[in-house]
Amino acid sequence: MSSLLVISLAAAAVFAIAALGELLEQRAGILNVGLEGVMLLSGTFGFIASKTSGSYLQGFTIAILTGALVGLLHGFFSITLGSNQVVNGMAIWILGFGLTTYIGYPYTGPLGLKPFPTLGGLPTFFVVALVLAVAIWFLLFKTHLGLELRSVGENPSVAEASGISVTGMRYLAAVLAGMLVGLGGAVYSLVYNPVWSYNYLQGWGFIALALVFFSLWNPFLVVVGAIFFGILWQLSLYPELLFPNIFSRYIWRAMPFVITILVFILLSTRWFRLRWGATKPEALGIAYERQG
Amino acid sequence: MGGDGARRIVLEARGITKRFGTVVANDHVDLTIRAGELHAILGENGAGKTTLMRILFGELQPDEGEIYLNGQRVHFRSPRDALRQGIGMVHQERKLIPAHTALENIVLGHPKKRPILNLKEAERDAQALCERYGFRIPLHAKVWQLSEGEKQIVEIIKELYQGARILILDEPTSVLSPPEIVKLLESLTNMAKEDLAVIPFITHKLPVVLEYCDRVTILRRGRVVAEMETRQATEQTLASAMVGREVMLQLERVEVPLGEPVVQVQDLWVRDDRGLFAVQGLSFEIRTGEIFGIAGVAGNGQEPLAEALAGLRPVERGSITLSGRDITRAPVLERWRQGLGYIPTERRDVGSIPNLSLVDNVLLNYHFEPELSQWGVLATGRARALTERILQEYSVVAAGPDAPARSLSGGNLQKVILGRVLSRPPRFLIACLPTHGLDVGAAEFVQQRLLDAKREGMAILLISEDLDEILALSDRIAAIYEGQFTGIVSAREATKELVGELMAGLRRERV
Amino acid sequence: MRAVIGSYTIRIERRADLRWWHTVVASVLAILVSLFLVGFAFLRAGADPLEVYREIIAYAFVSSFGLPQTINRATFVLLAAFALIVPLRAGLWNIGMPGQLYAATLAAFGVAYAFGAKASVNAQLNGAIVIPLMVIAGLIASGLYGAIAGFLRGRLQVNEIVTTMMLNWAMLWIVAHMIREGGPFMGRTAEGEGFTLPTAIRIPQILGLPLTAYAAVLLALVLTWFLAKTTLGYRIRTFGESPRAAEYAGIYATRISTLVFTLGGMFAGLAGFHYFTGVPGVYKIPKNYGEFADFSFYGLITGLIARNNPIAAIPVAILFGGVSGGARFMQGKLRLAFGIDYALLGVLMIMMVAFQALAQYSVRIERVVTAPARQVGLERGESRVESPRH
Repeated sequence: MSSLLVISLAAAAVFAIAALGELLEQRAGILNVGLEGVMLLSGTFGFIASKTSGSYLQGFTIAILTGALVGLLHGFFSITLGSNQVVNGMAIWILGFGLTTYIGYPYTGPLGLKPFPTLGGLPTFFVVALVLAVAIWFLLFKTHLGLELRSVGENPSVAEASGISVTGMRYLAAVLAGMLVGLGGAVYSLVYNPVWSYNYLQGWGFIALALVFFSLWNPFLVVVGAIFFGILWQLSLYPELLFPNIFSRYIWRAMPFVITILVFILLSTRWFRLRWGATKPEALGIAYERQG
Repeated sequence: MGGDGARRIVLEARGITKRFGTVVANDHVDLTIRAGELHAILGENGAGKTTLMRILFGELQPDEGEIYLNGQRVHFRSPRDALRQGIGMVHQERKLIPAHTALENIVLGHPKKRPILNLKEAERDAQALCERYGFRIPLHAKVWQLSEGEKQIVEIIKELYQGARILILDEPTSVLSPPEIVKLLESLTNMAKEDLAVIPFITHKLPVVLEYCDRVTILRRGRVVAEMETRQATEQTLASAMVGREVMLQLERVEVPLGEPVVQVQDLWVRDDRGLFAVQGLSFEIRTGEIFGIAGVAGNGQEPLAEALAGLRPVERGSITLSGRDITRAPVLERWRQGLGYIPTERRDVGSIPNLSLVDNVLLNYHFEPELSQWGVLATGRARALTERILQEYSVVAAGPDAPARSLSGGNLQKVILGRVLSRPPRFLIACLPTHGLDVGAAEFVQQRLLDAKREGMAILLISEDLDEILALSDRIAAIYEGQFTGIVSAREATKELVGELMAGLRRERV
Repeated sequence: MRAVIGSYTIRIERRADLRWWHTVVASVLAILVSLFLVGFAFLRAGADPLEVYREIIAYAFVSSFGLPQTINRATFVLLAAFALIVPLRAGLWNIGMPGQLYAATLAAFGVAYAFGAKASVNAQLNGAIVIPLMVIAGLIASGLYGAIAGFLRGRLQVNEIVTTMMLNWAMLWIVAHMIREGGPFMGRTAEGEGFTLPTAIRIPQILGLPLTAYAAVLLALVLTWFLAKTTLGYRIRTFGESPRAAEYAGIYATRISTLVFTLGGMFAGLAGFHYFTGVPGVYKIPKNYGEFADFSFYGLITGLIARNNPIAAIPVAILFGGVSGGARFMQGKLRLAFGIDYALLGVLMIMMVAFQALAQYSVRIERVVTAPARQVGLERGESRVESPRH
């Protein structure tokens, strides 16, 4: 049972790190629905780098770099060109999923490295996720940079009038987010489930996106939600632990997706939607054009 | 306040000239601002005030002319640059972030800041400023919770906190109720005592200028036509200087015998987007041929009331009756069929669809009508004919019925909306800020049409922030304050002072 | 934005009005550049990309085997494109076509199963009764599957991108349950694929193409008419342009949302129905059903490239149907790694977004001319004026 918890936390780390990245970006007003694509690209390139070099460090570095570049790309389309952020996100997703299917195929199979070390019995990256949550909370609410970032996401013209470069802030957010999401993708493909296969990410990127919406843009709620989904996922993979012999294993694999939707429905009470409307960064997803 | 010679000159503009193409917006404008004075700049729309203001606070570069700050020649490359040198600007439209606290807004973008946000220290400094100038603002409240007057003070504090010694205020009194105006001007006078210089740009409130300001510069067609001490001026001299001639715009008052009640609202309670009660137990009725005006500062419940009547916002408690039928929970189309018409405040976001053609926009009010939608198919021919008729009847300047709505000016768009709503004459019309943002000609047209509709027996609910308009058009006026009526007066008894006080909640009459 | 290089000024500005042919040029460029980039994969395999594309075109659009395959794939893509287009006209994103198409497929095969179709390929069934029932079952199932996402979006503002994606994955596992390891629809060979449809209830063909291919083209016309000329179409478009204005006009979010997702789901369902009951050589839920789920995303791109225009989607769908099929064929021939058509999909999408975005800007190169100052005709107070845009 405790090993179930440990694996759940490992899964939670993936969800949390990726979602924290997107949270940061959304606070600055940028919406990236293509998290799945970013994670696929960073996870695949990281996997290839690790497999060929035998080193975790190289894999993570390449993954974070990939994430930063993809974040930059998304930023370029969304900020400088000002085109529809949802379309851009879709493009990133399909680019990721299309390209990595082709590029990753020759590397199908296990990573083959020694398992990544744990930290006092806990998955290392879960601890990393916790540290990141605190760091992001501190950044957003206790620093000037964070205040400026948030103001750019709420009302860019006011921010601009106050002397803040909206473009600069948003690019910063996009690249940082890309790095975090890339890290999340690498944690999946190098640590949590170090096997490359066609469609290996199973929609986790979209779940991370959902997490950001659920969390009301609060880093700590992201972690809580991630833990919940981590446990949910393990149960779906090993239902025998709680529910022996009901349903075929395929139906169990379908469960987390159904439950995600149910969670959405249950959470969408009037109270929640009011709070959600109030905390949502007002300028989220809206392109900003500098006046004059 | 001491004599002129005692005060030093802090800001001087000489020969400021700015052209846009062939238009000369500022023509060799001179301006002299002294420390400790409230110096008003008056002028009609298009007189060049906005351009001058933008040059003074660094947003525009003059083509000719110089600016001297405390005797030194200065050159502002940007508003931030101007602020760094001590000139702050408070815009007509709020530039605050509603979701953040007052303090967070004050601190945002401070030129000399350290990475870690030290709100305690900021609070101390901001609090000191408040005490010095007599402001009372809850610094930890979220801006959306503050009143319009308080929001404006927050912006002023922000500029002062970030180093402004000269404040430029653009139409500071336009969204304030009369008592709030008094409060603001008193604060500005206090600031002037502390040796700051304040430049309010005010268009219409001549009495305010006379009472509170020390000097006034008047612009007309880009040139300075007068500069005087207010001691030596009267409303008449100021107005004639502004306009250059006698201007009287009078609408004919229409006296129409009132008929049966068409609309009855009983004890209405409506929540706003945050879940709080914006409308608290309102009751009133409107008869045929009557214009019922609601006067109030924005944000006191008028919009939620209009939306609830139109069917766009749920009613928590109470009832709405139209021609004897209860429409409290009726869907929008049902209400339209019963004879309700609605002109929303937001022309471009709610009242029309910018990217679609005028025909498609007209259909917004007609897509369910049997003549225009037969067996689920649109009768596009008839829709076009209707649109063309509206364009003609309402003298709309547009490329044609297929032109996209965004190609129309505000005034013409409003005419189309008015035309489309009135073409199937409703029994009850809700008009929200119908002349907001329109130029004089278009505004007059719209007001005349409303009076025509009244003459034909329509019951009209008029919501407006223009007190003059309400006084001119309404038969009865209700003042709304924090979701309740503080008084309902007939047009005959209504004066601007009375309604102003009711609007600000300073007085309550028996309703 | 302005850059000065030597005596030239380069101005990059947002276009004031975007003509339709700007977007057409952008789409064409996107397609060409994507094909060019994917050509590198062929180069790496030691083949000449031009030669490869020539073979692809010959295979997909000329050969007697390839052409019908292209049309069948194109029909699938086209119907999937409609599944995107209808909700997108209402401003909503339906990326649930994989789930919806399999909902319909399972329902259709369910009807067949109920009639005892699993028993044998030669089962004597009355096609005239069973096939329409299969269609209806499929439409209901896929319509409902889509409606879930639409309803949740309209009523509770639950993000439709996430819900449709979750529904996709759920359905894919349900399909696995049905056709693998002893599931009810498992085929004879027990190799993880579904049972084969009896000849009697396969979709009839005309001129070598299943009826569904013709139906798809017809539906393109019907859909165009529906959106432009009917009241419902008007309401959908209005809602898509401005939900607030639509609300003002009495057009409600929940109803529109549910409606467009039901329609979208049905179109996706038809795609599934077409491919698995109408394409020769298939007639069952295949082992690689996951790849068809992915293939339906070509419909997403098609819809976007065709700018939400159902008729414009036809040539695009044919192009993608052919090229993706041809690329697969060449992948086998050149022994390339799996997934060349996926790579093409990915590159196409990003290129399309890039070019559509770039089409919004015009680039003008001007030669800066310095003219001598002229004093003729200037009155006092006037001076030379340049024209800033204010």
